[in-house]
Parts: sequence; structure tokens; C-alpha cells
Amino acid sequence: MDMDRKTQDDGALEALFSAAADHAPEPTDAFMAKLEAEALDAMPSHAPSPKTTRPAVWGALKGLFAASGLSGAAVLGVWIGFVMPDIVPSVSPLAEDTASLSAFLPGADLAEFSE
Amino acid sequence: MASELAEDAPDAALLVAYANGDAQAGRALVGRLGPRLFAYATRVLGDRAEAEDVVQEAMLKLWKIAPDWRQGEAQVSTWAYRVTVNLCTDRLRRRKTRAQVDIDSVPEPDSGLASAVEQMTEKDRAEALQSALDTLPERQRQAVVLRHLEGLSNPEIAGIMDIGIEAVESLTARGKRTLKAALADRKEDLGYGHG
Repeated sequence: MDMDRKTQDDGALEALFSAAADHAPEPTDAFMAKLEAEALDAMPSHAPSPKTTRPAVWGALKGLFAASGLSGAAVLGVWIGFVMPDIVPSVSPLAEDTASLSAFLPGADLAEFSE
Repeated sequence: MASELAEDAPDAALLVAYANGDAQAGRALVGRLGPRLFAYATRVLGDRAEAEDVVQEAMLKLWKIAPDWRQGEAQVSTWAYRVTVNLCTDRLRRRKTRAQVDIDSVPEPDSGLASAVEQMTEKDRAEALQSALDTLPERQRQAVVLRHLEGLSNPEIAGIMDIGIEAVESLTARGKRTLKAALADRKEDLGYGHG
């Protein structure tokens, strides 16, 4: 094939490219609308939704209750020991070697009476 | 949330705005990228329905990555094309039966292509080219479409196809030669064999 023919064919191919570029396949309006809808569905939300707020608040409250319960028990123990020191030996098996079984088992003293 | 971005805002700015809850920015990106990706996928796959599936998947991947997008690292359109090219490649490789022209056995055609093309309408030219594109090996087809129909530069195509610029030049040159041969072989089918 001579160079003139090759040049002509190259030009013809360019004409085909040009025609094809001018007749690009176009998406339908319905498809574009679908793409938009999917974009909005997938969009990250920065406002907390009700679905996520309720469990989050409930979880935080449960955590607060748990933490306050633990610290409350600790504070109560210290307070009892401070204001009523006499009661501590009576409930502690280590404070008195002759601690009565009735101190630990409710009803055990009644069993002693019945004997 | 209303968009405060200008119409000519860069794609990356739109994507970041979208990630921050700007619906209008998302719509603008769909308007910019959707038709381009669809045209590319339709030309490479030769099937509108398959092209729609590919574009949907590519755009969903874009929305997913939006919150982590770092401006300046890549162009959004390049990233979107790359995803689309890969999705098209996957689909083309799953096709076992499509006949393709052997790229190494194509001689320079003595086709009389120029006189034939002169007699064709614009629409016929576009259809003839699409028919010929369908016979190209997948990498040549992708490179030719990106270069000569989508109008991208060789460096852009190199980034999208993850190959060197010389490889892009080689693919497009071989693609054009194969296209001319395919058009010459199909003159009768395409309706300009007697021109």
C-alpha cells in the first residue's frame, strides 16, 4: 500500500472517530435519576438519626449507672466504717473468734432454741 | 443541605462536599461523571445494560470512598475511569465467545477505506466504528476509546490503565491498525462494500 493510500485511510479513520465522538452513547434520564438517588442514599449523614441516638443514649446511661453503683458501694462502706465503727466487728468473722453462727445464717438461732 | 460550591468547582471539592452531606455536590458529580463513564463502558462493552451495571458499581465505589478522599492525591475522574476500566476488563474476560482479531497477524489493510467512509452518513460512521471496536482485543479497545473517543491524553490513560506512556502509544497504534483491518474485512457487512 502506498503512502498516499495510507494517509487517506488514516484520515478516514479519524473521520470515523470524529463521528463516533459526536454520537456518544448517552445514558437515559431514568438511569441518571437512579444514579442520583443512589448517591443520596449512600451520602454520609452528619446529623444523628433517631435510630442511632436511642441506643447510644441508653448505653451511656447504663454505663453511668454501673459506674455510680460501684463508687456508691465503696463510699457507703467507708461511711459506715467511719460513723458506726462498733457494727463492723459484729459482722466480721475475723473480729471475734467466737462469732455465733446466727450472725451468718438467719434462722440458725431459732434452731438452737428448738433443741 | 444546599451547596455553596461554584459550578466550576473541581471534582475533588465536590466529592469532599458530598462527604460532608452536600446533596447538590453529589448530584453535580453524577452529572459530570455519569455520562462519560457510561459512554466509555458502552463503547468498550458494546452493551448498554452491562454499561449501566458497571457505571452504577463504579459510582457506588466512589461514594463509599468519599469520606476518606484526600485532595491532591489523584483526580476524581481518573480514579473513576480506572475503576470503570477494571470493571469492564472483568466483564470482558468473562466472555469466552467473542471473536477478536489476532493483533499480531494484522497486515496494513489495502481497504480503500477513505472512499468508503466518504459515502457514509455520520450515524453510519459511528455505527461502523462501534462494530469494528467490538472486534479489538480488550486492552487495545480500552486504549483507543480513551484516546480517540474520550479525548484523554496519553499520560492520563497511562494512569488509568496503570501502564507506561509508551505502552499506551503502542496499544493505540496497534489498535488503529487493527481497526482499519477490521473495517476492511467487514465492508460488505457494514454496507459500503460497493462504494
